[in-house]
Amino acid sequence: MILTLLSHQWKSFWRSRNAGRSLAIQIVLGLIIAYLLASILALGFAFPHMLHKFYPGQDIIRILCSYIFYYYSFDVVMRFTVQELPVLSTQPYLGQNIPKRKLVAFLNIRALFHFLNLVPLFLFVPFAFMEIAPAYGAAGAAGFITAIIFLTIFSNFLILYIKRRTIISSWWLAGFFATIVAFIVLDYFHVLSLGKSSSNSFLRLLSAPALVLIPITLGLAAWFNNYRFLLGNLYLDEGVKEEKEKSSREYTWLRQLGLSGELIALDIKLMLRNKRPKYILRLCAIFMAYGFVFYTKENLKNPHMYLFLFTGIFITGIFIINYGQFLFAWHSNYFDGLMSSNISLPAWIRSKFMLYTAVSTILFILTSFYGLISWKLLVTQLAAWLYNIGINSVISVYLATYNYKAIDLSKSATFNYQGTGVVQWVYSFALILAPYLIFYPLARFVDPWVAYAAVGGLGLISLLLQNWWVDILVREFRKRKYLVLAGFREK
Amino acid sequence: MLSIIDTVKSYNGNTVVNIPQLDIPTGEIIGLVGNNGAGKTTLFRLLLDLIRADKGEILSKEKNVAATEDWKKYTAAYLDEGFLINYLTPEEYFYFIGKLHQLSKADVDEFLQYFEAFFDGSILNSGKYIRDLSKGNQFKVGIAACLLQKPELLILDEPFANLDPSSQMRLVRMLKELPAQQRVTVLISSHDLNHVTEVCHRILLMEKGRIIKDIDTTADTLQELESYFEV
Repeated sequence: MILTLLSHQWKSFWRSRNAGRSLAIQIVLGLIIAYLLASILALGFAFPHMLHKFYPGQDIIRILCSYIFYYYSFDVVMRFTVQELPVLSTQPYLGQNIPKRKLVAFLNIRALFHFLNLVPLFLFVPFAFMEIAPAYGAAGAAGFITAIIFLTIFSNFLILYIKRRTIISSWWLAGFFATIVAFIVLDYFHVLSLGKSSSNSFLRLLSAPALVLIPITLGLAAWFNNYRFLLGNLYLDEGVKEEKEKSSREYTWLRQLGLSGELIALDIKLMLRNKRPKYILRLCAIFMAYGFVFYTKENLKNPHMYLFLFTGIFITGIFIINYGQFLFAWHSNYFDGLMSSNISLPAWIRSKFMLYTAVSTILFILTSFYGLISWKLLVTQLAAWLYNIGINSVISVYLATYNYKAIDLSKSATFNYQGTGVVQWVYSFALILAPYLIFYPLARFVDPWVAYAAVGGLGLISLLLQNWWVDILVREFRKRKYLVLAGFREK
Repeated sequence: MLSIIDTVKSYNGNTVVNIPQLDIPTGEIIGLVGNNGAGKTTLFRLLLDLIRADKGEILSKEKNVAATEDWKKYTAAYLDEGFLINYLTPEEYFYFIGKLHQLSKADVDEFLQYFEAFFDGSILNSGKYIRDLSKGNQFKVGIAACLLQKPELLILDEPFANLDPSSQMRLVRMLKELPAQQRVTVLISSHDLNHVTEVCHRILLMEKGRIIKDIDTTADTLQELESYFEV
């Protein structure tokens, strides 16, 4: 039975729309994951060498052992932030003729399939073979490996248990963090040294492998505790967190803009109330600091100033680049509704322009502090900003009319490639590289300031032609409206 | 109000809608019945210009819905949750829809008073986003948003399916009163033959994309329909 359930999970992973959409993305993701695991494994093999180098002449087994508890403290925090509870997946089975304890056992086994459970094995097992086995014999190495396995199981189920508890009462969350902070403080003031207790415990274990019973007991106890807790709490409604009261909001200042203002308010709420677009807002904030990477003394000395256009476009246009990737797709859940309600297409497209102009302008003003590094940067950013609101905004809306892939707003942002397709790749390139077609020859053969003036000037001219663009874009959108609608309906 | 002329829509060689001629005069309540896959929802989507017809045209007030946007001003529709903006609170959604029809906040609030009983205290000021409401309550939000627009043409897909019995009866009453007050043309689809025959003046029976029966509702209509659906 449990095997059947696991095979369902396997299918759900491969058949989820998210995974199944594009082979290329799957391959890229697979490569990234394989690369990460290989790096960790390589690190595991490199430990003996590295430790010998950093601590010459010392007992490297003792040193490695002193790090194990630190590793698990890190592991606990990592799990707490990234490991998801595999609870919803039981929903379709609760009503079927499957004993509860089997479902619970399934949940527990399912929880073991997590990359965090592989990492300690990759890190420590090579070391056990290379260093511990020669020094302490096979029994010592076996005890060490078993201890690592069961400590991982312990950590896995302890955190799942605590996470489930925090769902029911947030006191558990506070307690958890208080404990972590307490350990850090005690360790910092040398009251209770994690490193020392770690090396002592493991060296003891190596000389008396029978002590491995302690981690085994811990691991099994954590498993059983989780099992018992789940058995008593396998009800649908109890897994749901108490929701905070949601209140209505109005942006009265947007009212003056009429229908477009109303549509902008809709976009703002969309960004603030859904995980994935919220993540993009955070990205905008982070990328404001991007200038520090490129606005360096050496780059400022370069007479052509090639890089500043790219940086400026990125900084003032990060919102257009990122949010614009899915400009219409963000609304895919209810696009049918939008398109059949009383919203004229010109107003819809104009609202997108206004949103772009507003956010880019805010970013431009906020990042004007780079002018303190050099006045030149203020000019290059001005040109980039004008180009963004004048031309990139148009390109963005134009490409949005070619995007037929829906976005599910309820999904979180990390490693979420839903809705990503060829258009998205073309999109980023078009926005960032296209201006260089004008800029590069001018900057190279005439004068960089002329080049910046040309880019900024073109942006300004295009901005003044916005009404004309709106007409063209409406016509373009009409041509593909049904394709967009059909694509968005397919979830 | 509506004329459907020689309209065909097919997917991968399967004809899902095929209507040579259909006229719907103003103020009528039309019920669309038929088993799953008969083409009811597809027909609605054609009326709302959400899909393109392979052939033919659909005229709303003599204007082709695919060529102009005039129909949006007087048409309100609720086909599924895909018409609700689910991260808004119900109030925000109503104000948004109201705004699209030049209704002020006060107008919307006043209008919503009529829905107090229909909402049954679980929609307004519920402290939830629409996505957190139950399906039935989501549907209530959708239908109230439609009526809020004071439409001349109202399109509802299976309005009775997700509602509790009291709400079904309230909805029946509301629909029956509509044309008398405001000359509204109503198109609803439903699997509930009782409600449909009670509300509608005229019933269209669809099968595999065709309208195979066009009946003016009389006392015998329910029986006639039941005998068709009998297996």
